[in-house]
Amino acid sequence: MRASSKLQWAAGFLVVLHVVVIFAGFIAPYNYRSQDRLHPFAPPTRVHLADCSGKMHLRPFVYGLKDSDQGFGNYVEDCSQPLPLRFFVQGDEYSLLGMFHPTLHLFGVDAPAQVNVLGSDGFGRDQFSRLLYGGQVSLFAGLLAALLALSGALVVGSISGLYGGFTDDALMRLAEIAVAVPSFYLLLAVRSLLPLRTGPVVAFLLVVCIIGFLSWARPARLVRGVVLSGRERNFVLAARGFGASRSYLLRRHLMPMTFPVMITQMVVLVPQFILAEVLLSFLGLGISEPFPSWGNMLAYAQQYHILISYSWMLAPGLVLLPVILAYHVLADALQEKLQLTA
Amino acid sequence: MTRYLIRRLLQALLLLAAVSVLLFALMQAAPGDYLSEQRLAGHMSPEAMQALRAKYGLDQTFAVRYFRWIASLSHGELGYSVSYNEPALQLLLPRVRNTLLLTLPALLISWFIGVPLGVLAASRRGGWLDRIFAAGNGFLLALPDVLLCLIALLIALKTQRFPAGGMSSPDLSDAAATVRMKDLIWHLWLPVAVLVIGALAPIMLHVRSSVAEVMDSTYFRAAEGHGLRPFTLLFRHALPAAANPLISLFGLSIAFLLSTSLVVEVILSWPGLGPMLLEAVMARDVFVVLGSVVFSTLFLVAGNFFADVLLYVFDPRIRVQS
Amino acid sequence: MLGLSIDYLSWRGQRISALRNVSMELPAGKVLGVLGESGSGKSTLSRAILQLLPANAEVSSGSIGFHQDKDLLSLTRQQMRAIRGAGIALISQEPALALNPVLTIGQQISDVLRAHRSVSKQEAMQQTTAMLREVGFPEPDRLLQAYPHQLSGGQRQRAAIAQALICRPDLLIADEPLSALDTITQVEILEVLHKLKDELGLAVIFITQNAWAISGLADELVVMRDGGVVAVGKFEELARSTDEYVRGLIFPEKSFQNQVSKPLQRAEPGSAPLLRVQQLSKKFLQRHLFSGKKFAVQALRGISFEIPEGSTIAIIGRSGSGKSTLARCIAGFEKADEGGVLVHGAPVRGPQPHVQLIFQDAGTALNPSFTAEELISEPMEIAGQGTARERRERVLSLMREVGLDPESARRHAGEFSGGQKQRLALARALATNPALLILDESLSGLDLLLQAKMLKLLLDLQKSHGLSYLHICHDLNFIGLFANEVIVMDEGRVVERVTPAELPSSTQPATRALMDAGSRLHAPGLEAVL
Repeated sequence: MRASSKLQWAAGFLVVLHVVVIFAGFIAPYNYRSQDRLHPFAPPTRVHLADCSGKMHLRPFVYGLKDSDQGFGNYVEDCSQPLPLRFFVQGDEYSLLGMFHPTLHLFGVDAPAQVNVLGSDGFGRDQFSRLLYGGQVSLFAGLLAALLALSGALVVGSISGLYGGFTDDALMRLAEIAVAVPSFYLLLAVRSLLPLRTGPVVAFLLVVCIIGFLSWARPARLVRGVVLSGRERNFVLAARGFGASRSYLLRRHLMPMTFPVMITQMVVLVPQFILAEVLLSFLGLGISEPFPSWGNMLAYAQQYHILISYSWMLAPGLVLLPVILAYHVLADALQEKLQLTA
Repeated sequence: MTRYLIRRLLQALLLLAAVSVLLFALMQAAPGDYLSEQRLAGHMSPEAMQALRAKYGLDQTFAVRYFRWIASLSHGELGYSVSYNEPALQLLLPRVRNTLLLTLPALLISWFIGVPLGVLAASRRGGWLDRIFAAGNGFLLALPDVLLCLIALLIALKTQRFPAGGMSSPDLSDAAATVRMKDLIWHLWLPVAVLVIGALAPIMLHVRSSVAEVMDSTYFRAAEGHGLRPFTLLFRHALPAAANPLISLFGLSIAFLLSTSLVVEVILSWPGLGPMLLEAVMARDVFVVLGSVVFSTLFLVAGNFFADVLLYVFDPRIRVQS
Repeated sequence: MLGLSIDYLSWRGQRISALRNVSMELPAGKVLGVLGESGSGKSTLSRAILQLLPANAEVSSGSIGFHQDKDLLSLTRQQMRAIRGAGIALISQEPALALNPVLTIGQQISDVLRAHRSVSKQEAMQQTTAMLREVGFPEPDRLLQAYPHQLSGGQRQRAAIAQALICRPDLLIADEPLSALDTITQVEILEVLHKLKDELGLAVIFITQNAWAISGLADELVVMRDGGVVAVGKFEELARSTDEYVRGLIFPEKSFQNQVSKPLQRAEPGSAPLLRVQQLSKKFLQRHLFSGKKFAVQALRGISFEIPEGSTIAIIGRSGSGKSTLARCIAGFEKADEGGVLVHGAPVRGPQPHVQLIFQDAGTALNPSFTAEELISEPMEIAGQGTARERRERVLSLMREVGLDPESARRHAGEFSGGQKQRLALARALATNPALLILDESLSGLDLLLQAKMLKLLLDLQKSHGLSYLHICHDLNFIGLFANEVIVMDEGRVVERVTPAELPSSTQPATRALMDAGSRLHAPGLEAVL
């Protein structure tokens, strides 16, 4: 019971999160590249109900910012102009699912004020909006890379386990070599072979492919193990006794046996790969500006003055925490569930 | 007897050789090299390029270049860094030392803490202590290394108690050895702490689960039925029986620490292998990239071999044949 | 022990009753046999006495007295620990798993001594050596340094007995100590226990499924069923009991003999053989599990025999005598190094439908994710026989034939009981219209009653389908009723080939050993039918 409710919670959270980042354009008040150069590092915008003179308003509103006397980068609220928080407003054009180009946003405020839920960065870009767009890169890079790695693992592992002999030896030696290099060092080495400066789409695909292609070995060994031990199971022997072909054995008996391994590996690998993308982009080897990824957004926090003064710049790192936690809980719950059914 | 160890050593060396060949081939297969990046920038005439290619041996066949590369190890080179204009090995060795300075203490400390805590959690299975540990481990596992490093850096900057980076204070180069040693340890604190925190959770979890598995075994129940004391049961009967997978994990945790160490070194500006590799990747300094990766592989392979030696010592099923 | 009841809380929160109001009494120095089929609560009983119940078990009522004044259930953990090993000791079911694989035998036995007595290391080792000699190790000094994986199953069980008795407890609980051993080793262990009981004045609770094994040892027997006691008495009293369950446990063959009326149809001599095995040899190249050293195991050494059509040949031998390898070679799963197997005169090169192997543990031979219908129709599907509808009808008629309810066709393999699984496997094998069924210890996982029922079914099927059987087993149960001829195997060779009636007069040592063990462990009726 507890395992399945954990499973529902974690899966639910992740589904909602993915839907939110898919609809980033609508939910985010701004585009990922719209700048407010006059207000770099604006702190998270406060939403008020009472104005500076203490009068209550029915509608929540925000104030614009003006520079304080303490110098550039320090702001005070401009009390002269309360601007109400509006829902379903027109704003920057964005692309939805690559087909539509609407301008409707979930919420926003009128100029000159900005609503920065999580503050803004050094170019005055809205951190919350960029976080949602960055999620498109980081979350889906992990998912796609895991799919890639697992399809490779399934093919290699099945061939290796089913055919055995020389094929098996050769493939497994190769896998041994692939896991002998510390993964992140290998990732960087391979990255160094490919063009450093590319467009966002190419960079995204590069990152996904590198991570995916370099990570087939571990899951492939697991799949091979399942197929190999499955081949010796008595019910598979019995089927062979009835004259079953290899493809029949694979389809009816062996593939279904790999399913639990595949699904748990998927849930285990995705968070690892999300982190790998974040790290690559953090080091300047993944997605590059202006397109955001949680990694390249977090890279700004490396600078001492930003880290000390603008704590909201850590948001892309903090948002990783619940995501990874959810995947881990999912993995645990799945394993528990599969053990119970087995 | 020692045939097992010799066989394992040969396997490790073979693996290392195979990795180096494949990596070398990979690096050579790359479109473009340091020189073509230079030419793209329009600095060089084709004739000068040709001369340089010949000088660096880039016009030779793959096998020749590979053996030259390996052979250069004998006079302490392991290829040549084009951007530093120095033999790659000279650049790498101090960096390797610095990385080991970080990872080895972290390795020992995390296992030293992780094993007793894991055994404790296993012996209190389902109890409140176990649950607290489980929750803490869940949190630590979900904490990305990057974030952990940044938080450590933030603490260092805010409290001013720890150095925010580097491995030595300036103006200490002529100080006494003990002073420099103290300074080094002071600089080690933060990065080692980050590495230990990062490595602790998986160690604890694995220790807990393998000890718990032993506790479910028939022989543990039998030993319990003979009225042995809890301490004897846990540390003399359960832990050695559970050690086999843990020793393998010990070997693997070196690789795990190396990957974390790369991030730690970059963010806390520790002059280890990580920042060097990153720089070389950016500059397409092929031999430095190659050298860094080969060294990291060497650590991993050495770690696994060390684990094999430990297994040989601890597991009678390997040592004593029926 | 008075009115003990124990419930298990399942993970869904349901209460499952494991023991209901169980009372029994055992005077010092006596032996109490606890008899019952699997699942009757015998093991829960042994764990309850030592307070080693799993966390989800709950004692709802009752008390356990030991040495008059103590109620074990009210003792503190420390007090209980002092009793375990020193007052009450346990030897458990599987000797292979009961010893710690990474500690030496000497360490494990002396640890128990040192947990209860303050003795020096040296003294502990001396006493351990003495104890090992008592359980029948001729060279106990060498054994001190040995690890469990270097010992055979019987040796491990003896070491476990030494470990249990090193502190001279007053009560020994033996929880099915014989079930994982072959018959000859079983007798050896029984002898050791008998001797030690007399020497040490030990009281023993002997938990078993086999009444005959303890008939000479036990002063009194308790019969359990579904967590309750159904009968108490001396062996002779129980043997006269009219209760069907008690009789079934003690005389499984009685329920069988009444059902088989017709004598077996013997094969006519000179008819063409169905199966001909010629000079079959097989060597396995194995790697040592950890050191990786290769070594060869000669499993079969020039085996030759024939099976005429429509007859049953039994192959018996100790475990490790090469029987299972032979079965796999004949079924085509294993290729022989030398010699060959001919079926209907044609050489066997791989698995073929008209020779079917029924595996020892039927559960492992059925894919747990398949339904009964999918399972039975699998051979027809692979062969591409018939339409889906025809296959379904065939499945239902086969299920009826092997005595399974066709209503359960949609249930998954895991939902059937052990005996039913064996019937499922049988139905599936029949779907290929086989000429020969190889029964590789197919019955040894079942209790005697189920074995008897299964044999009855096999005999009926033999008549209706004209089947031949190759029956591989390690004991002589029912052999006289079932087999036309018996082949005795030892160390990969055929020792002799005789009719069941000739078995008792055999002079071959391997045959004699099997016969003797059988007579010590089993109902006399089983030998009577030979």
